[in-house]
Amino acid sequence: MASYLPPGAPRPASNANNPPSSQPPPNFRANPNSLADNLHNLNFNSAAPRAPSPLPGTPFPRQATQPVSPFPPTFSHPAPFASRPSPSVVPPPGARPPPFVSSASAGLASNGQPVFASGALPGGQWFPPPGSAPPTMAMAMARAPPQPQPPNTTSRPLMGSSLIRAPPVQPASPFAAAPQARQPPTTGYPYGQPTWPLQPGQGAPPPPITGSPQPPRMFGMPPPLPNQSMTSVSPAVGQIGAPVAGASKIDPNQIPRPIPGSSVILHETRQGNQANPPPPATSDYIVRDTGNCSPRYMRCTINQIPCTDDLLTTSGMQLALMVQPLAIPHPSEETVQVVDFGESGPVRCSRCKGYINPFMKFIDQGRRFICNFCGFTDETPREYHCNLGPDGRRRDADERPELCRGTVEFVASREYMVRDPMPAVYFFLIDVSMNAIQIGATAAACGAINQVIADLPEGPRTMVGIATFDSTIHFYNLKRALQQPLMLVVPDVQDVYTPLQTDVVVQLSECRQHLELLLESIPTMFLENRTAESAFGAATKAAFMAMKGTGGRLLVFQSVLPSIGIGALSAREAEGRTHLSAGEKEAHKLLQSADETLKAMAIEFAEYQVCVDVFITTQTYVDIASIAVIPRTTGGQVYYYYPFSAVSDPAKLYNDLRWNVTRPQGFEAVMRVRCSQGIQVLEYDGNFCKRMPTDVDLPGIDCDKTIMVTLKHDDKLKDGSECAFQCALLYTTVNGQRRIRVTTLSLPCTSILSNLFRSADLDTQFACFLKQAASEIPSRPLLLVKDRMTNLCINILLSYRKFCATVTSSGQLILPEALKLLPLYTLALIKSKGLRTDGRIDERSFWINYLSSISTPLAIPFVHPRMVAIHDLNSKEGDQSLIPPVISLSTEHVNDGGIYLLENGEDCLIYIGNSVDSDILRQLFCISSVDEIPAQFVLQQYDNPLSKKLNDLVNEIRRQRCSYLRLKLCKKGDPSV
Amino acid sequence: MAEFLELESQDGVRMPWNVIPGTKQESSNCVVPVSAIYSPIRPLPNITLLPYSPLRCRTCRSVLNPFAIVDFAAKIWICPFCFQRNHFPPNYASISDDNLPAELFPHYTTIEYSQDNQIGQSPPQPPLVFLFVIDSCLIEEEMGFLKSSLSQAFDLLPDNSLVGLITFGTLVHVHELGFAQIPKTYVFRGNKDISKEQLLEHMSFFAKKPKPPGVIAGARDGLSADSISRFLLPKADCEFAFNSVLEELQKDPWGVPTDQRATRCTSTALSIAASLLGACVPGSGARIMAFIGGPSTEGSGAIVSKNLSEPIRSHKDLDKDSAPLYHKAVKFYEGLSKQLVHQGHVLDLFACALDQVGVAELKIAVERTGGLVVLAESFGHPVFKDSLRRIFQAGDYDLGLSSSGIFEINCSKDIKVQGIIGPCASLEKKGPLCSDTVIGQGNTTAWKMCGLDKATSLCLIFEVVKKESPDATIQSTSNQFYFQFLTYYQHYSGQMRLRVTTLSRRWVAGPGSIQDLVAGFDQEAAAVVMARQVSFKMETEAEFDPIRWLDKALIHLCSRFGDYQKESPSSFSLSPRLSIFPQFMFNLRRSQFVQVFNNSPDETAYFRMILNRENVANSVVMIQPSLISFSFHSGPEPALLDVASIAADRILLLDSYFTMVIFHGATIAQWRKAGYHNQPEHQAFAYLLQAPRDEADSIIKERFPVPRLVICDQHGSQARFLLAKLNPSATYNSDGPLPGGDVIFTDDVSFEVFLDHLQRLAVQ
Repeated sequence: MASYLPPGAPRPASNANNPPSSQPPPNFRANPNSLADNLHNLNFNSAAPRAPSPLPGTPFPRQATQPVSPFPPTFSHPAPFASRPSPSVVPPPGARPPPFVSSASAGLASNGQPVFASGALPGGQWFPPPGSAPPTMAMAMARAPPQPQPPNTTSRPLMGSSLIRAPPVQPASPFAAAPQARQPPTTGYPYGQPTWPLQPGQGAPPPPITGSPQPPRMFGMPPPLPNQSMTSVSPAVGQIGAPVAGASKIDPNQIPRPIPGSSVILHETRQGNQANPPPPATSDYIVRDTGNCSPRYMRCTINQIPCTDDLLTTSGMQLALMVQPLAIPHPSEETVQVVDFGESGPVRCSRCKGYINPFMKFIDQGRRFICNFCGFTDETPREYHCNLGPDGRRRDADERPELCRGTVEFVASREYMVRDPMPAVYFFLIDVSMNAIQIGATAAACGAINQVIADLPEGPRTMVGIATFDSTIHFYNLKRALQQPLMLVVPDVQDVYTPLQTDVVVQLSECRQHLELLLESIPTMFLENRTAESAFGAATKAAFMAMKGTGGRLLVFQSVLPSIGIGALSAREAEGRTHLSAGEKEAHKLLQSADETLKAMAIEFAEYQVCVDVFITTQTYVDIASIAVIPRTTGGQVYYYYPFSAVSDPAKLYNDLRWNVTRPQGFEAVMRVRCSQGIQVLEYDGNFCKRMPTDVDLPGIDCDKTIMVTLKHDDKLKDGSECAFQCALLYTTVNGQRRIRVTTLSLPCTSILSNLFRSADLDTQFACFLKQAASEIPSRPLLLVKDRMTNLCINILLSYRKFCATVTSSGQLILPEALKLLPLYTLALIKSKGLRTDGRIDERSFWINYLSSISTPLAIPFVHPRMVAIHDLNSKEGDQSLIPPVISLSTEHVNDGGIYLLENGEDCLIYIGNSVDSDILRQLFCISSVDEIPAQFVLQQYDNPLSKKLNDLVNEIRRQRCSYLRLKLCKKGDPSV
Repeated sequence: MAEFLELESQDGVRMPWNVIPGTKQESSNCVVPVSAIYSPIRPLPNITLLPYSPLRCRTCRSVLNPFAIVDFAAKIWICPFCFQRNHFPPNYASISDDNLPAELFPHYTTIEYSQDNQIGQSPPQPPLVFLFVIDSCLIEEEMGFLKSSLSQAFDLLPDNSLVGLITFGTLVHVHELGFAQIPKTYVFRGNKDISKEQLLEHMSFFAKKPKPPGVIAGARDGLSADSISRFLLPKADCEFAFNSVLEELQKDPWGVPTDQRATRCTSTALSIAASLLGACVPGSGARIMAFIGGPSTEGSGAIVSKNLSEPIRSHKDLDKDSAPLYHKAVKFYEGLSKQLVHQGHVLDLFACALDQVGVAELKIAVERTGGLVVLAESFGHPVFKDSLRRIFQAGDYDLGLSSSGIFEINCSKDIKVQGIIGPCASLEKKGPLCSDTVIGQGNTTAWKMCGLDKATSLCLIFEVVKKESPDATIQSTSNQFYFQFLTYYQHYSGQMRLRVTTLSRRWVAGPGSIQDLVAGFDQEAAAVVMARQVSFKMETEAEFDPIRWLDKALIHLCSRFGDYQKESPSSFSLSPRLSIFPQFMFNLRRSQFVQVFNNSPDETAYFRMILNRENVANSVVMIQPSLISFSFHSGPEPALLDVASIAADRILLLDSYFTMVIFHGATIAQWRKAGYHNQPEHQAFAYLLQAPRDEADSIIKERFPVPRLVICDQHGSQARFLLAKLNPSATYNSDGPLPGGDVIFTDDVSFEVFLDHLQRLAVQ
């Protein structure tokens, strides 16, 4: 719609909310103005939450100008690009002009910002013709604040379409002419930089392994101007103050972008008895636990704790912890040490039950210790007594992991067990209804299971069971004494039961042959199945009953909408569509669970320590919103394969399943987070069941699951003191040992607002945003959620500008250094699947569910994906990293002659330009032209270096993301997914 | 006596009154009701099978019979029941005095028709269906016995029969024998009743096409043959599957706490079996064969709670109405019996356990469907093993299991039918023939006999409604009552047949008729009718005193038909026609049918079920056991059923129908213990020992269920089986020991005392 209008042409007034026009829309339906409106309103203290629709013709500039006068120059004088590389923006250290120049020239060529130009700009002559797309949303967003400019015209989904719909008219030169310009700026730039320093790659960051564990940004180095902006993006040349002002001419390349560091950072969690702010979650780092826990296990949104609630409120930031208790450490990190206190169990505070940790203060010659959570003075147990050294520490502090490490694991004594540690039980439940059989999902599931059996832990503690279901439930007696497995059909799906008390769940070693035989024969056995109905709820319940005695993992492979029996669902998506057209009022209700029985079941499952994972292999609507309640409550997760392809998906299914059972994990877990006095846990958020307000029950917990813990003040904290957080996870290992993993983080308290901004942890903050958005989407209208997310971002920036930044031109966007990517990410979030209405309900549900347990490092790429070029992999000889440089998510960086890979940790899109060299195509995909792109793509390795590199690349990404990725090929002009 | 047997061999009928008291008043004075014991498909030596349809009366639908008056000239016959004049159809045109159709031959009062043979080719015989329902809550040993018996039985099944299999314990497993890939069973909850419609849905009978509207009944009504053949397969096709299921059948895997009974959902399993048959093969002959090894504790038919501290109901509990589950279970099985009767299917019960299994509750379902019942204490016991084999055994002693029987009755208008005591179910076809008084299955003139065999005998009870009228005696020409019994059934060969028995009996009335009545009195039949009647009353009438009732009846009968001078007991004598009737009554009073306290309700139910289906001769043995003595002095000879018959040098063979006892006198026992019979010089002794065995074997061979054989010695513990049946003429109260040296420890009166009392009371 909007983007098809010629720049400056009159626009329909109703632009804001109108339905897509008859022209093929570029997938943008959300209200494009709300963001800008709100920004505008906030900045200028306007009360109206939503500004009136922009005027035709000059919508945004007019609005922006209305309240504030000094903008006219913006319109009358296009910024001279030549003035850009002004001294103030030139990066001081080893500044390299060439990139700048080239980037400027690239900007010049492509910078025809229709939006900014609006009607007021006289010089329409250098705008690209209508239809040529401007840079993507991300940049527009970043540029928006100076003049609250809604990025509507260009808005595109980040995933996919922005790339697919590359502008038809591409200035050919920039890419070809100045390849260097596209080199992403590196991470390193000091705080002092008032503007965005585009520092080309390799130079800046000090090689981390050189012994300085200090990553060079965001922490450690005191900013030269304590209260000054860390980063400010000014319109064009900004600070020069020249009336040139060229607000509309913001160079997209000036927008802060995530720059993945290519080298590994060394991080010590505490230095000089001070908490050391952790490196970004998305970076590659190695942690040395020197008292605080590794940020992998627990990180806080702000690395200094505000002393008062008011301070926190003023900052606009959230105070929350991201806890990933079983996260996988870097291979070079020391593993978590196991401490055995014998029968007596770990030393704990007798009042708050906090576990012994490095921040407990021993006094009185070590006879007593002060709890760092509640402040209570406890007697040291006699056998644990040790004298203090001259420094006031216990003499044995460095020998005892629990006194010097932020993360330790205690062997649980008897009192932590209500029963013997449970065995590792895996129960597979497979949909064999007609559709599942016909689309090949059953065969894929059986095949995957059959392969995965070999990966299950060995030994007598591993038990397996299997059942299939359509409108009835089929159990299998796998006892070895039988000649063949015996099928037991439970036909009553309203009132289910398990057909055998024993023998349905059998020791793996006893039934391996039977199991293999059975898995091979299931697809053929049901080949003629004409039962379309699927009793998901009943089958899950029946399987649960079979494993009730022990608990364990229940892995369900579901392919159609559960239509019969307990927890049957209706195809409400169709109803939803009519609602949608009726005015979108109830649209979000489709993202809520439709069925209370499933909820009740889920709670019962959790009670008996059954963790359910659901693999949805489907080509239709299955109502994930309702189904997902079970995995969410039981600490499981949803896997989604849509549209299921029998060609390309089995490999992913197998890998997902394999990772599911082989990844580090625990059973029958209980988790609690304790905080120092003054702070308390407000809420836990993630995949678990909560029966007590203080604890979360996790029938299953694995290395990928993260729990968000929001915090609140219940008292003032003392400035200069430290505030500690401790997460205790009591769980059973796969080998049947009961353990308590205790993760402690102690952070300084501050009463200075700018400290908060300086120590803000962007990745954690944003993950927190994401999770909040995900949990809100089902319960309130989408517009409100979007507004809220935008406001969250704006509030922080506003607060920063108001209280921390030196006075600058009001047209300038000033970003705290630590949070400079927040606007970009927020925009990406707003454009992501979950916050758009054009996606399928199930996809949105899945998005929401995926986020509910996502870890911080994976959260950001999930909404702000990574794009790399793969057509020229060969040309990057000598590059250490397997992953080529990341390309900004901007259409101008997508070339018709290139092949690009876009991945978000779950999906992976390979975009093939129209004029790609057929030789490259042949090497990579064994096709000769773009038109031969297979609908269902399986990555294969061919005998050429390029193909090998691609495979290596994909494998490296898989490794990083712990995910196999759903690969999809597309070409220019394909309808977006 | 002989003439009654002759009549029986001609028509399969025994009547207590072969000369019928002609008026209502007279008949009620006769104490023993006008009745008949009829064996509908008893093999008769002279029976003829006619290959055409019977000719029926236009109004009363009775079948042309030798008692019809035929006008050969006019080609007309007059129905003896309603006096309707019927024309012969054209195919009877050649009828004449000396060219009679078989059904008019005077001695062909019983004749069979089979329409199937009409065109010379019989339609394909519907296969017999056997659905095995097997209890899996058994100890390993019992399970082993049962498995081996079943696999033997399976081999004996007719080749074209269809076989299905259900096992149950805590849950019900319906085995889909037709599923080729792996063994497959449908599992149903034991404690949840499930309707036929639910069953159809649950077993996905309509997975491939929409469910047709209305009632689902078999292949005709929309059930595909494919669906049926999933569960009921020809024997040859499922032999492997059946045997492998059987082989792998394990004890019910649900754990049983030591203080609890196993969870056994007998009723649910039977209900599912009935529904399955009802869905698949309604209307054609099918048998549910239930093998039950313990009390039902789950579902609607539970007889006792799982808690072992609660004992299984006894007669006393039933009398006091303190068996909480009894009525619920009976009600459930009543419903089940209705369903089975409606579908035409039979329930056979094999109850083999030391405990009661619930036969008393199940009785109604077994009896109404004409099922077989076997009660034994173990699946390893010969009573069970041999009985099961007998069912499928071909040859001389086969049971002649037939199915889908319908029994109808026509009789003269002065006679009405009160009902039938026996294995059948009322079809509720009401008509003018129905009496207001109902006994057993009454209020109808047609009954369903889902299962019947050669031995099946019904006890029909009539009521004479003819009023006393002065001219009754004058019209001596029409003093005949006619009865016609029609039995449609599927012969075990698969043919549909109709057997017609037409009887004519003279009635007498007024003074001087007593002699005639006595002359026509069949005391054996009378004893059996009394036994069935007293059992029935004990079951149905609350506060019923059987001893008093029997005594009153006997006294009444004796005072009416005995010769005596008033108030002179010594003058009392009975006609030979009546002479042993008091003895029958004496033994009936002492029998398991009346004296129930020694038996469990299950046993009583079992005995009564057998009594209600057996013919007169066998029933008499149940009432009054026969005793044969073997000794060196004489050949086998009947002995008095008296403790006096015991002698040290005798072997006694007691046949009480359910039990056969071979009783060695003290001396014989000593010799036997010493092993003389193994020595060649004492071969005579060996023969003597063998003789009662042979005799017993020959009796056992003909009997179903197979009786229990007890071999015991005098003064041994097992001797109680004999002593319990003997007349206690010598008790511990007696003056001196008898020559046989045995006394019975009882306070029961002996037969002599009984007779004394009878004579005294009869002459009053």
